Amino acid sequence: VNWQSCCVRCDSSVSSAAGPVDTIYALSSGQGRCGVAVVRVSGPAAGGALRSVAGLSRALPAPRTALLRSILNPQTNEVLDRGLVLWFPGSLPGLRPAEAGEFTQRAFHAGKLDLTEVEGLGDLIHAETEAQRRQALRQMAGDLGQLYNDWSQRLKRCLAHVEAFIDFSEGDLIEDGVLNQVDLDVPQLQMEIENHLCDERRGERLRSGVQVVIAGSTNVGKSSLFNILCQRPAAIVSPIAGTTRDIVETSLDIGGFPVLLSDTAGLRDTGDCVEKEGVRRARHMVELADVTLVLVDSTQLPQEPPMVSGFLREYLMNVLPSGNNYKQQRLLILNKIDLLPKEHISAIQNVLTQTSDLAPVCILSCHSREGLERFLTLLQDRLKTLCGDPLAGSPSLTQTRHRAHLQNCVEALNQYYQYRNVDLALAAEGLRLGLSSLGRITGKVGAEEILDVIFRDFCIGK
Amino acid sequence: MLPVRRLLAQPRFPSFSLARSSSNSSHKRYDVIVVGGGHAGTEAAAAATRIGAETLLITQKIQTIGALSCNPSMGGIGKGHLVKEVDALDGLMGRAGDYAGVHFSILNRRKGPAVWGPRAQLDRSRYKEFIQSELLNMPRLTVIEGSVEGLLVSAADPEQPGKHRVTGVRMADGGDKILCSSVVLTTGTFLSGSLFMGRTTSPGGRMGEAPSCAGLSHSLKEVLGLKLGRLKTGTPPRIIRETVNFSLTQLQLPDPQPTPFSFINTHTHCKPEEQIPCHLTVTTPGVDRVVRESLPVNSHVQQDTKGPRYCPSIESRVLRFPGRQHQVWLEPEGLNSDLIYPQGLSMTMPPELQLRLIREIPALSQAEIHTPGYGVQYDFVCPTQLFPWLQLKSVQGLFLAGQINGTTGYEEAAAQVPVFPLRACGRGVNAGRTALSLPPLSLSRTESYIGVLIDDLVVHGVTEPYRMFTSRAEFRTSLRPDNADLRLTPKGREEIGCVSQHRYQEAVRVQQGLTEALSTLNSISLSPPCWREKLSDVGISENKSTLISGEEMLLYTDVSFSMLASTFPDLLSPYLEFAERIKIEAVYRPHCEKQQREMERMREEESLSLPPDFDYFSQQVSLSNEVREILDRARPSTLGAAMRLKGVTPAATVHLLNYVTKTDRKTRGK
Repeated sequence: VNWQSCCVRCDSSVSSAAGPVDTIYALSSGQGRCGVAVVRVSGPAAGGALRSVAGLSRALPAPRTALLRSILNPQTNEVLDRGLVLWFPGSLPGLRPAEAGEFTQRAFHAGKLDLTEVEGLGDLIHAETEAQRRQALRQMAGDLGQLYNDWSQRLKRCLAHVEAFIDFSEGDLIEDGVLNQVDLDVPQLQMEIENHLCDERRGERLRSGVQVVIAGSTNVGKSSLFNILCQRPAAIVSPIAGTTRDIVETSLDIGGFPVLLSDTAGLRDTGDCVEKEGVRRARHMVELADVTLVLVDSTQLPQEPPMVSGFLREYLMNVLPSGNNYKQQRLLILNKIDLLPKEHISAIQNVLTQTSDLAPVCILSCHSREGLERFLTLLQDRLKTLCGDPLAGSPSLTQTRHRAHLQNCVEALNQYYQYRNVDLALAAEGLRLGLSSLGRITGKVGAEEILDVIFRDFCIGK
Repeated sequence: MLPVRRLLAQPRFPSFSLARSSSNSSHKRYDVIVVGGGHAGTEAAAAATRIGAETLLITQKIQTIGALSCNPSMGGIGKGHLVKEVDALDGLMGRAGDYAGVHFSILNRRKGPAVWGPRAQLDRSRYKEFIQSELLNMPRLTVIEGSVEGLLVSAADPEQPGKHRVTGVRMADGGDKILCSSVVLTTGTFLSGSLFMGRTTSPGGRMGEAPSCAGLSHSLKEVLGLKLGRLKTGTPPRIIRETVNFSLTQLQLPDPQPTPFSFINTHTHCKPEEQIPCHLTVTTPGVDRVVRESLPVNSHVQQDTKGPRYCPSIESRVLRFPGRQHQVWLEPEGLNSDLIYPQGLSMTMPPELQLRLIREIPALSQAEIHTPGYGVQYDFVCPTQLFPWLQLKSVQGLFLAGQINGTTGYEEAAAQVPVFPLRACGRGVNAGRTALSLPPLSLSRTESYIGVLIDDLVVHGVTEPYRMFTSRAEFRTSLRPDNADLRLTPKGREEIGCVSQHRYQEAVRVQQGLTEALSTLNSISLSPPCWREKLSDVGISENKSTLISGEEMLLYTDVSFSMLASTFPDLLSPYLEFAERIKIEAVYRPHCEKQQREMERMREEESLSLPPDFDYFSQQVSLSNEVREILDRARPSTLGAAMRLKGVTPAATVHLLNYVTKTDRKTRGK
């Protein structure tokens, strides 16, 4: 996050006789495109955290007084930013505040919305693009809530049947067959949740923006492309190689999808220490990117068409990180075609249609804007694959928080199989843990509700 | 003058003729008066006495102290956990079960030690004999026969929360006033109880005994302004044993080796070979017909008072699940009893229909009824009016325990005792705690089923008679029947003061033995090939390459502690007496550790107490109106309890917490 200003707020916790409590942290302001970011840290280790990020060797700041400090990476001591730090000693005992914002909690407790619906509403307020708005609307209408509630209901029923078998079977008319249904339902449920998790972060991406990074050698026209995409001269463009030295970022709406676009320093070996840092940052950005636009100066291509694909392959290898994540999308862009003779262009195109293992290629000119239309269509297609169509198929996962709880749920369900035939109490514990993970998204399921299912489904005689 | 009896030291299990009257009790002041001699009353009186309180137990009939008014059995799944916990706090029930049991079994044996259900069929007369001999021999405990007509109430001590203060009881029939610091009411089904059979209704709490407590109901409702509710329950007809054709039933044998309930007993009174069996049979379509025919003349069934869903009468079972076979257990009432208790045939129809009904079951086609079944409806005091230490929030010194709080079952009743005596006595640990203004002690959900039971009652109240299930305990893997002593005995001794030195030392010895055994197991660390060589039958994964400790070996289902002990006799054989417990500890330890954090969090929430007179409508605390109303109605004692209320959200609790800690700091600053 490129904070223009940063504020770290720490609350210490009243330590209690009952033992340690969690220290928690969260970015309290919105993500990505905020002018000011507020990070809140709360818990017994908050003081220590504050000292290490604010580079305070001993004393904590005076309570409730803002202090301007460099904010450091505690591991590397690298300066991340400068910002204000504030210390609130003992303001809150070690309670973990509910995970979502206060707004969420209030709407939730008013019983008007379930947790996922409230989150959808929050997203709607923040939604900047059409696709985001559609997804938020869909979530608010309860699609995601319905999906999670359905899982929660089914898991509740599984658990209730196992609990009934534990609490009643002997001496009551609960047949062993009760567990057979559970043995079928649990893997089915687990599979559905896993499939939902395997959506390659589509919903989350749509919510927080797709990272698109422009990368390539120096002077290939990266900043020109950047300026064209944001429709204003946001980055300085000059004929001098190495003009762009830092990351330049902007957020855009491309075809209804939110994009965080970054322009980076040209990749080359250099002795200039500032530029060297710029290259390091550029490589780091490429690693984080959802889509990398690899720019090539087509005037630098080999004159003999058969050599072109080898050149491009090597170029890609140089730009993209080694062990490149196969899921990462990339587009190869041959810029400056206005400087090439027409015959040469068609020769290159011919070669490229015969090479299938390269990234999809666009041929364009930032100067004459030739080929730009086709490039935008291609980019939009990539974005659509990455974000998914919010109105098609099952609702996508929109919150990292949901992902974590769903993953915990899937893992907990494994415990059911592990102990199914050895210790039913421990097997049931797996289902309980799974249900409570789901409950952290949709709201808690209490013992009384489990008993209600038991008494509804079985004739308990004893 | 009331007969005041007190049995001095006597040989064990005396007959009642030995009980003799002591002198006038009316001018004496007691620390604790317990009203009622059922399971809750006897445990309450015994616990108060153990703590050192001068205690008076008032019962209608000394003869019925320790009576099992319904089923001749105790324990089972969930209930067995409670018996073990009552025993761990040095209560009577576990030892009484060991003395009176005639058929011991551990239910759920195949389903994991956390949900094992120790259970026993009991001999009614032996059970009574044990309880009476224990109680009537206790120092500091006086037992009298009589009926309490009302409570003596005075203005509240302004320093303490509450509107009234109880100062004693008034006996019926123009009897005396007896003064005390605390009263424990354990009136069971006798509070405005009425008995139902067919179309007839008569006042009473148990067939064959005088009704009681009309004045007491008045005291509670009109004088103290408490909210009462009404519940119902029932009992089956008793059948004459020799008229049952057992050849048409399925034989149910006890465990060959009976396991005692009590942690301080190594064996049961009944020898393994002396145990007697139970029998199982099922209902027929004829039973359904008789039930439907009986409806017009069955007023108990027609009432909409809430009965238990899990211990329903045969009428409600047939009506809810028609056309099914329902199980009927034929349980002996004792070693020498002529009677059979048909578990599952609780009914309230007229006696002639009861006979027709049971004869629809082939094994009972010739059966004769000794005593018909009947239903009971009774008042209970809505338990949300209680603190977690079972004292009424509005009445200083008044405690309620047992069925009066809306529970059902002997074990649930007995389990409501051990936490009561906190303020009740003048000399115990609690007087000291009160002086220090510490919150009175109660057991938490994180440490016991007793805590789960009481928390459920005082936080949520009841809509039907409350019974314990293991599914109610969120920390089930940690709260096992096998470790109740380790969980509760030290606390019972050190903090509550209700555990004898002897039992405490035994618990400490066990704890040390287990700790040593586990660390010795961890000191044994071998490579997989070494283990394969020593224990050839155990399937250790081929992929495993790291060293495996003895404790880890116990995680394999087919490895027992005794197998390891015979492999390392020098190191491990000293701990053989704990073999089963060590195995359970080793298997459960990783799971319990996972629960630890959640348990700590809950404990912390419970340690934050909310003032009983808190103004939830105060504009200074930011809450929604719905939440204000919920909290105002429930008046939770702790933040933890508030969080478990339906409709109270994390946001609300954070505001509440902020406000309370703020005001707390201000008051302390003064």
